[in-house]
Amino acid sequence: MSAETIAADHHDVEDHHPTERQYWVVFVALAIITAAEVAWAEIPLTDDGGPLLVLPMMVMMIAKFILVAGAFMHLYFDTKILNGKFFWWIFGSALLLAVIVYFIVFATFEFSIF
Amino acid sequence: MADVATPAVDGHVDAHHDEHHEGHHTSLGISNMKLAMWLFLGSEVLLFGALISSYLLSVARFNQERAEGNPLVTGPGTELFDIPFTSASSFILLMSSLTMVLAHQAIHHGDVKNSRIWIGATAALGSLFLAGQVYEFTVFYREGLGFTTNLFGSAFFTLTGFHGVHVTGGILMLTSLLVLSFQGKLNKDRHETVELVGLYWHFVDIVWVLIFTIVYLVV
Amino acid sequence: MAIIEEPLALPSGDRPTVSNPLGGLSRPRGATGLKDWLTTVDHKKIGIMYGAAALFFFVIGGIAALGIRTQLAAPDQTLLSGDAYNRVFTMHGTVMVFLAVMPLGAAFANYLLPLQIGARDVAFPRINAFSFWVFLAGGILLNTSWFIGGGANGGWFNYAPNNGVAYSPSTGIDFWNIGLLIAGIGSMTGAVNLITTVLNMRAPGMSWMKMPVFTWMTLVTQFLLLFAIPVLTVAQVLLLLDRGFDANFFNVEQGADPLLWQHLFWIFGHPEVYLMILPAFGIVSETIPVFSRKPIFGYPFMVASGVGIGFMGWGVWAHHMFVSGLGPLSVAAFSAVTMFIAVPTGVKILNWLATMWGGKLLLNTAMLFSIGLVTQFTVGGLSGVMHSVAASDTQQTDTYFIVAHFHYVLFGGALFGFMAGFYFWWPKAFGYKLSEKWGKAHFWTMVAGFNLTFGPMHILGLQGMPRRMQTYSEVQGFGLWNMVATIGSFILGVGSLLILVNAFVSYRAWKRAGRPDVGPDPWDARGIEWMIQSPAPEHNFDVDPVITELDDFWHKKYAEDENGKLVRVATAEELAHPGNGEGVHLPAPSYWPLVLSIGIMIIGYGLIFSLYLCIPGAFIMMTALYGWSLEPADDLDADDHHHGEVEVAHG
Repeated sequence: MSAETIAADHHDVEDHHPTERQYWVVFVALAIITAAEVAWAEIPLTDDGGPLLVLPMMVMMIAKFILVAGAFMHLYFDTKILNGKFFWWIFGSALLLAVIVYFIVFATFEFSIF
Repeated sequence: MADVATPAVDGHVDAHHDEHHEGHHTSLGISNMKLAMWLFLGSEVLLFGALISSYLLSVARFNQERAEGNPLVTGPGTELFDIPFTSASSFILLMSSLTMVLAHQAIHHGDVKNSRIWIGATAALGSLFLAGQVYEFTVFYREGLGFTTNLFGSAFFTLTGFHGVHVTGGILMLTSLLVLSFQGKLNKDRHETVELVGLYWHFVDIVWVLIFTIVYLVV
Repeated sequence: MAIIEEPLALPSGDRPTVSNPLGGLSRPRGATGLKDWLTTVDHKKIGIMYGAAALFFFVIGGIAALGIRTQLAAPDQTLLSGDAYNRVFTMHGTVMVFLAVMPLGAAFANYLLPLQIGARDVAFPRINAFSFWVFLAGGILLNTSWFIGGGANGGWFNYAPNNGVAYSPSTGIDFWNIGLLIAGIGSMTGAVNLITTVLNMRAPGMSWMKMPVFTWMTLVTQFLLLFAIPVLTVAQVLLLLDRGFDANFFNVEQGADPLLWQHLFWIFGHPEVYLMILPAFGIVSETIPVFSRKPIFGYPFMVASGVGIGFMGWGVWAHHMFVSGLGPLSVAAFSAVTMFIAVPTGVKILNWLATMWGGKLLLNTAMLFSIGLVTQFTVGGLSGVMHSVAASDTQQTDTYFIVAHFHYVLFGGALFGFMAGFYFWWPKAFGYKLSEKWGKAHFWTMVAGFNLTFGPMHILGLQGMPRRMQTYSEVQGFGLWNMVATIGSFILGVGSLLILVNAFVSYRAWKRAGRPDVGPDPWDARGIEWMIQSPAPEHNFDVDPVITELDDFWHKKYAEDENGKLVRVATAEELAHPGNGEGVHLPAPSYWPLVLSIGIMIIGYGLIFSLYLCIPGAFIMMTALYGWSLEPADDLDADDHHHGEVEVAHG
């Protein structure tokens, strides 16, 4: 494939950006998860903290993270074209590095989020 | 925060070089500016990672010392948080991510007028969030939590302040976009400039997603 | 190819009007002399400035080192008081690490990367200039503490809580903190810039596995910088808030754990160690094949081991903290990873040896320095593996054994590699070769001085002499080897200066001989940077080189005949680009990177002395950002170059 055809494909695919409606759906999902997070933190069941509070919170937080990064920052949509793979690599490796390194720090401090 | 402002401000200028090149001329088929923005955001991941970690460790130490009755540890702790208020401001920041992406969508389809509205809305929502943060800081200060009061105060104001500075930088960029737009320099061919500011803005939003859950709701 | 060749066309097709918000600082045209250097965005000139600044700071750090050695020459010396001694060794370490070795890597990266990948310049030429100026601003700010702050005195890693106001009331620590914070901005922007350049601006055909090893190592280095600098930045910001604004991050009274500083510092600090040595590894991976007349042995392993070092470098930081009470599990884990990281390093040593094995070795100065790196780094590497054994490290930590170890890897390794790079690429940068006679004198005095200085430190360390000891008494029995080390250090000091003597002598001889042309390819080398004239023309390549092989230039010069014998098919002169830049449009110079750096530097002084000083600093900074934004990256009306009309879509 010559450079021109790659470029042409690229623009074709880029026009398949998500529609406005899809963005609104993502936003509503984000709002609902946020509301669920607040609700889960406030109910008496989780007053004592612990895994019952933390684990569902972390799941919801990561879901929000993935929604914003994937949909709004186009990581999800960009993977279909030449673009995205590399951004995943950069951002993903930074994220992985940060998580591993700082979790080791927590471990040496015997810090527990529970 | 020069290290924050420089690449982004430069983006306004250099970006229009790049859009002609998207898809060709570069080895990866990615524009240089977009690649640079992602690299910068990767660097920021480690920055906020270190800040959030420092916060968590500091607050854990603060709580422990206070529970053990260290007489030097005074002032309020995490019980100050006003969850309903912060939930509202979190919602505002999430909303601004939606308007940001709609602004890019509009400019991508050549709809300059709507892109202005959405960019303006994003800047306004960002400012509203910032105003909320200032209000929150003032309330905390009145209730006895200063920057130097205790470990929690230092860590909390530093982490959220760092995020606030990033929001401020984003608002400056959005304002510059508006100026460019009214000068007629922002149109369909330059949609990548909006996209770059958007990437930064969404990243700042993501950081708040983490801060809101970890700092306000969990710890 | 490169973005900078594209003229700045508005979508309407009109040419943009060049804004001129501040008359005096409007885009410089046809600048010469000092003004040219101050406003340049040419990666080659910026690289040369990085090199010159690094050598300047190297001399400062070297003088500090001689101060340390003179103080320790004999028992009970009183040349430096305890306080002065603290300042001198702190500044020695800080200046050498951050302002000499790191920028030497940046110097070679800036000069060589675009040449090695066949690009016109880096991706963002003005940010490149800014990276240099802001590094220089940080370096100057740090060094003014000699005169107005008393010098930093907390050691180069500046542990908490000793770095707090209570224990270090003088402003020395503030200079250390803010100087490095500012220099870090330059490292971060430089990393973004150089990574973008390597990833995106390679010449047609240069796929990943056809990139020169130096380019690969620089790419890994810049990724390490990109991710490590923000961690140091956070540590330093926390310290800044503690010292300047009474925050409590390292305030033990309030329950803070000062170990946080050690973690943050070494999460940065260990990748830092690798980002100092990897560029030197890259350099000798270029010189050894050329002077062995063989391709590099195991190129994929060379690349993979460099990348592996880059990854593993993130998992070993706590081996600097074995005695801080981490707990047995952490110590065991970090111990194991530290042992393991010796493997990719060993792979590199093996590959260099295998490259030399059976080759026609040409033992000129560049090659001698390369062999010096391989040998001396191996010594330092072996003592490094000793430290990975936590039990043994507990004995050795904070003794002269550690000092010996890291000088063997950083001086005997990194710096010898950079010296090899100077001798190797000097003709490409300046158009004349450095004298071999002086070069060999340079090399052998350095080898003798280096080993005399740091070899005995192994013994001193095992005898129990603590690091950072201001003096010792005769009964401790450290006298003999300290005297030897001091004699060695003065030999080393003289040896290190010989590069400057050599540059001067060789230049004079070249000028007297009527500046003969050294030719594009004085070493019969392998990389495409030797395909352009020497010194490198401002526009680098006349046309984009098309890459078909690893060591592309070599394969264009040589081929095998039917008997499998190597025959020359073309001379370098036939292949070389004549240096005709007709039709090439270059990025235009700018004042703003320099002005922006000055603004940041003034803010830095403001944070140390008076926040009011931050106001003019911030004003200058904002003006610079505004001017920068309004000034197009490209100057269409530039007529100072010999390039005439802008050619659309040159690539």
